[in-house]
Amino acid sequence: MTPGKDFTPYAPRPATLVRKVRLSDFVTLFEFEQDNGRPLAHKPGQFIQVSVYGVGEAPFSISSRPKAGTNSFEIAVRNIGSVTSALHALPVGAKVGIRGPFGSYFPVQEFVGKDTLFVAGGLGYIPLRSLLRYQLRHRDEFGRIMLLIGTRSPSERIFVDEIEKLSQRDDIEVMETVDCVGDSCWQGNVGVITTLLPKVRLDVENTYVAMVGPPVMYRFVIGACVGDQCISPERIYVSLERKMKCGLGKCGHCQINGVSACVSGPVFRYTDIEPLKEAL
Amino acid sequence: MSAYIVYQDQLPGLFRLWAKIYKVHVPVQTAPGFYDFAPWEPGGEVAWDYDLTVNPLKRFLLPPREDLVVFDARDYTAKGVFEAPQQLLFGVHPYDLRAVAQLDQLMEHGSPDKNYRRRRDNTVIFAMEPLRIAPDAFWSTMGAGRADIGFDLYWTKIGPATFFVEVGTARGEELLLAGGEVERASAAHHEAARRTREATRRHADAHGLKFPWQELARVMAKAWDDSIWREKSSMCLACGSCNLVCPTCYCFDIREEMDETMTRGRRWRQWDACMLPSFALVAGGHNFRAKHLERYRHRYFRKGKYIFDMIGEPGCVGCGRCIKACTARIANPLTVFNRLWEEYA
Repeated sequence: MTPGKDFTPYAPRPATLVRKVRLSDFVTLFEFEQDNGRPLAHKPGQFIQVSVYGVGEAPFSISSRPKAGTNSFEIAVRNIGSVTSALHALPVGAKVGIRGPFGSYFPVQEFVGKDTLFVAGGLGYIPLRSLLRYQLRHRDEFGRIMLLIGTRSPSERIFVDEIEKLSQRDDIEVMETVDCVGDSCWQGNVGVITTLLPKVRLDVENTYVAMVGPPVMYRFVIGACVGDQCISPERIYVSLERKMKCGLGKCGHCQINGVSACVSGPVFRYTDIEPLKEAL
Repeated sequence: MSAYIVYQDQLPGLFRLWAKIYKVHVPVQTAPGFYDFAPWEPGGEVAWDYDLTVNPLKRFLLPPREDLVVFDARDYTAKGVFEAPQQLLFGVHPYDLRAVAQLDQLMEHGSPDKNYRRRRDNTVIFAMEPLRIAPDAFWSTMGAGRADIGFDLYWTKIGPATFFVEVGTARGEELLLAGGEVERASAAHHEAARRTREATRRHADAHGLKFPWQELARVMAKAWDDSIWREKSSMCLACGSCNLVCPTCYCFDIREEMDETMTRGRRWRQWDACMLPSFALVAGGHNFRAKHLERYRHRYFRKGKYIFDMIGEPGCVGCGRCIKACTARIANPLTVFNRLWEEYA
């Protein structure tokens, strides 16, 4: 379909909320269906802009894997600002506006036949989940899949049941840690996510890293990956959060030095952003 | 390129004709020493010898607030809004023309901006050779003293009541000839125009960049950790005035509002400014450029390097508006660029 004369990339299209799942005190999974009946046709790592009219629009990573033949997709949202709190207040059946998908994505084809180390800090599992679920769906095409998850405290863990199920599978290695236990009965690893790295034995020549987390995490994990484990920086991919407004590389808000994160990112090969002073 | 001669007494007739099709804007004096573009009125004065207008032209092409979408919150439908009035900007100086030519490229880059394109297509630009040069201006040394494209007509005043008019586009020529025959320029007229421009250029070149502007991106590339960013930004009020008056600043925010029925609404874009503290602030409170220093440096890098890398010329045309607008007196690109040149040449 060719866009009409008055098509504008600024006009959201309607989607309907079909499922809400509480993931933690502040994070909820939202499943939407595009009203046009078509698949979102995203690639793992891309983001969409979601509108609640009267409140505004905000960017979210797509958390579900690409699915042909279905118009449904998922995002997971932390209730932290005006749009996110409006989303949390929506009942199933309510409509939202969506634009996108936008931006770059994990180069799935490059990962084929290789091992993948997923490093998810904080809410980083949300965007990584799209790639992870894609790989699990096409399990035979990929080598080892390792998932490291670091969360501040046990109560902030998200997708707890899902990760529990993953850790019971024998085709994926899952390791989790929390920064501090607090007054919970957490029995697992304690410490920042970099403390997990020495515990994984990597085939460094054959491993790709897909990493999403808070800004502070990247420097430490990359330092550990490149330094101790000798993974080529060419095989490290990160996704960077910025204030994406237009999604079209125009409005200037998401610029990392001279690069628009909404067009050239959010997913970057580490070597492409290494020279950018504002990236990490 | 064909050229014509227009006499002062032909102008009121021409303006009247143009005003039938276009909203015509001309430079006028708004207060002693201050100029701006304002709607042309019959009998109104045109400030032929203005040195600089307070506001650049971007407001005609990328208005301070521009509707993008109207939506209906009942069924979540949305429709694009494209406003593109027929407008004629008369008396545009070459540095402003250059800034528009940059906007043309930047808005077309990647995902072409249809709202901008439509406004631009409906905008006629009659450029004019400056007769006076603002004290802070350094456009000539930024390579923005002469524009070869982007105008429909180019006017040069070669006598007290005589204009040499070069044709840039067929649309421009048609508008010039709309009122009947116009005298063709002779070789002597061409020569007079050349001399006038040469005089302007000589005068303009006297003040400005101490190095070829082509070197700017190379110099900037070495200047990330320079002390000048701290020095200047320590006095920055983060007011965004420099962004506001800059002819090439085009960053925008997107906002929306419901109407009184709370069922329909509109979403618009409005000018934003990378010098404002909230520019790179995301939900949750993380600010990717929290410090004045980071924002000040970012603006200079956009002008001197990032845009340069994209389009091959600096994102500063040397108009000097920011110098005048900055209350803290730190926004002078010339001081910054020249000092960096001395340090890193």
